Amino acid sequence: MSINENFAHYSNLFIALALVGYAAAFFAYCGEWAFGTSSRFGKSVEKVGTAAEGVKLGKQAAAPKVEAVNAVDGGNGVTVLTRAVAEEEEPTIAGDNLRAEIVGRFAVMATFIGFAFHAAGVLFRGLAAHRVPWANMYEFSCAAALAMSFAYLVLLVLRKKVRWMGLPVTGIVLLTLGIAYTLLYTDAEELVPALHSYWLYIHVTAAVISTGAFGVATVATILYLLKSANEEGGLRRFNSTFDRLPSSVALDRTAYRVIAFIFPLWTFAIMAGAVWAEKAWGRYWGWDPKETWSFIVWVVYAAYLHARATHGWKGKAAAYVALIAFACVLFNYFGVNTLLTGKHSYAGL
Amino acid sequence: MSEQTQDTVGTAPAADADPPEPVEQERLTEDAVEAAAAERAEKLSTAPRTDDGIAVPSLGALGMLRWTWRQLTSMRIALVLLFMLSLAAIPGSILPQNSIDPSKVTTFYQSHTKWAPILNDLRLFDVFESPWFGAIYGLLFISLIGCIVPRSWAHFKAMRANPPAAPRNLKRLPVHASFSTTAEADEVLKLAAKRLRGRRFKTVRGEDRAGGWVSSEKGFLRETGNLLFHLSLIGILIGIAIGHFLGYKGAVLVTEGTGFSDTVTSYDSLTLGPWVGAQDLPDFSFTLNKFSATYQESGDQFAQPRTFDAYVSFKSSPSAKARNEDVQVNSPMTINGTNVFLEGHGYSPVVEVKNGKGDVLFDGPVTFLGQDEYFDSSGAIKAPSNVKNGTDLGFQGWFLPTAYISSGAMPASIFPAAQNPMLILSAYSGNLNMNGGEDQSVYSLDTTDMKQLNVKSKSASASAGNALELKVGQTATLPNELGSITFVGVKQWAQFNIAYDPGQKVVLPSAVLAVLGLIGSLGLRRRRIWVRVTEQADGTRLVEVAGLARTEGATPTAEVTQTAQSLAAAVRQPVPDGAPA
Repeated sequence: MSINENFAHYSNLFIALALVGYAAAFFAYCGEWAFGTSSRFGKSVEKVGTAAEGVKLGKQAAAPKVEAVNAVDGGNGVTVLTRAVAEEEEPTIAGDNLRAEIVGRFAVMATFIGFAFHAAGVLFRGLAAHRVPWANMYEFSCAAALAMSFAYLVLLVLRKKVRWMGLPVTGIVLLTLGIAYTLLYTDAEELVPALHSYWLYIHVTAAVISTGAFGVATVATILYLLKSANEEGGLRRFNSTFDRLPSSVALDRTAYRVIAFIFPLWTFAIMAGAVWAEKAWGRYWGWDPKETWSFIVWVVYAAYLHARATHGWKGKAAAYVALIAFACVLFNYFGVNTLLTGKHSYAGL
Repeated sequence: MSEQTQDTVGTAPAADADPPEPVEQERLTEDAVEAAAAERAEKLSTAPRTDDGIAVPSLGALGMLRWTWRQLTSMRIALVLLFMLSLAAIPGSILPQNSIDPSKVTTFYQSHTKWAPILNDLRLFDVFESPWFGAIYGLLFISLIGCIVPRSWAHFKAMRANPPAAPRNLKRLPVHASFSTTAEADEVLKLAAKRLRGRRFKTVRGEDRAGGWVSSEKGFLRETGNLLFHLSLIGILIGIAIGHFLGYKGAVLVTEGTGFSDTVTSYDSLTLGPWVGAQDLPDFSFTLNKFSATYQESGDQFAQPRTFDAYVSFKSSPSAKARNEDVQVNSPMTINGTNVFLEGHGYSPVVEVKNGKGDVLFDGPVTFLGQDEYFDSSGAIKAPSNVKNGTDLGFQGWFLPTAYISSGAMPASIFPAAQNPMLILSAYSGNLNMNGGEDQSVYSLDTTDMKQLNVKSKSASASAGNALELKVGQTATLPNELGSITFVGVKQWAQFNIAYDPGQKVVLPSAVLAVLGLIGSLGLRRRRIWVRVTEQADGTRLVEVAGLARTEGATPTAEVTQTAQSLAAAVRQPVPDGAPA
């Protein structure tokens, strides 16, 4: 099968347009953060957790550090008390500033547009080459960035209050896509024989999604560390910004949930890779640099999960472990592909 | 129940509160509060200690301490060992490894004469076989077993034990729902137990001074998954060991038209497991009929390979009928559990070497090794005289599949396929030392007892130096009537890996179970729900439902609310006994 040059051309065009869309979104998110700063996050926070037409009967001042007990009429004469629902009554990045809110909505719109072009770019790349569009470093970068903005937009569509993620997520997507487009670009071509396998679909897809999700978890982890430093009295200059972020507990929990959700998939990605390696190279594990670093990533994330369950390691220490783990993810991708030689080096990196 | 609600709003401590009052402490994070609540609930739950086998086997105070200590230490040690394992793996990815490519280790030795022996002493060229790496994962598995075995036992007992008694003050739990009713306490509790059981909660009823209660728990599969995952890791380790002891792997290079039979001597390299003998090798054989490769011919992935096909005919045993198969990179040939993988390929120019009298000294394909993506291949041709004190002839140099000759530069290949094959050879005469004691590389000449011949021809490109340039069909005559060499044609060779690993039958199922266990362990929530009915002053009964997650951040708010709502609805319009809840 020959390459469809038109589709390949469209793909490049769409990726370029996606870059424009994400760039617009990124600047708009910056505006949202900036304008939001001018309005102190107010005392009243709407929205109480559980029942649909919940009546808020009482709550302490909005500062998330204080424990809150909410009572809600749950229907049928049932009164529901919930403690510790801070994550469900988070402030927003826009605060109550109208300008910030408008710019923030524009940012979301621009993210959607950027995502649509991005998805089209990846799709046409696949159509051009008649295969999955993640067979070399350029394509893998595009796909992993797509997975990341997809994860963010899914949370938005599910009406989760995650607009605070918009700035870091579009920033990382922009960076990844930019590096891919300028440094890693390679023409759409057929596959080298080593990739002629349906395991390309299984193994690499799992790896793409895991990489994107680990990126999201890292964003939450970094914000958690900053926010908890702020809660402890540090970084006072940025108080007004931090006030509009979710509580450190909620950020930490977000990071944990994403990692706990994706860690089994990463495990699966490694195992699928092992099954493929057995079929292609005659051994399921051979300490190839990519295998070694995937293993290191796995072990460090396993350490993170254990750390969270260990006294003295909970909280910040565990968060640093998660950051080290993501540093390993990045090295496994950029470092192993460019600096070390192994069996995972393919056409166009 | 608004007055009840008003009481609690603002976190006023309830009358029968437990002594420590973390709720009143300022700056407590939600997490800490939840943990405190959980701790309280645990304390309450373990009050009738025999009821709760989840956390504490009944070993007495000392035993409990020891058990706690062991739990703590093993987790911490496991954590430290995990870090050590990841650190220890790093040099294995950066330094060349004997297990992956011994020739790279040799190259490293030559360029780092000072450091290489030290690194070698530290076993840094064999990281994954080194004692210190083994020690780390050995300790890790001991720690794992030391943790998992008691936990499995505790979990087994927990699954058989009843959920703990309901805490006295359910309002203190992270989620609490209540309503009043005129229905009888027994009726409400019966219904509650039935509903919870219907939702697959493990449920038990009880009574204390405050009134009757229902206690229920769900999500044991979380810990089951956790244990399954860790046990599966042991399974993987066992599988790896089986593969190591009972498996073997070898490599063989076969040129088109020649064959291979599975005996020890026909392997180029062979690693037998400690429990495998030469007699255990299966007696299959195969012949490489043809090897074909295609390459990208344009664009920025020029010269990248696109297809490799090794067409072989094989016999699963000497008496079996030959069958044809196309071996590709991702589709190995399987013969009686042994797999044959296509690993590499290259060119074997076919040459004929004659001596001065016209006798053929050598005739056949010679394996040349590709050195780059355009398959500039290096090799040596050895033509021993076969008579005592005769003059051996030797050639070494390059095979270029698609030679391109430009003035002023060394001829080089510009495409990996054999479109314009050429041999560029230096010629030697003398003694090849092939009868000496030491093994010789087939890819290079031992020129210590040989003299280089002056073969520079006028037609050859100036930059090739003192070398012959031969195209297919051409013959070069050597000076001093020493003989001649003819470039007859080009064949290709393929390298096959032959591997047998019985451990895979253990590793793969273990790996699948590990992933399933992991999904259960990280995806499921373990939680408890209690229902308590107390008499109130006005003659009605207060029904309270409360929940607690034993998993971080998994407060069963929705479940508690729903249970309370459906219970409230049901006791207002009582369902007939026996109807589905």
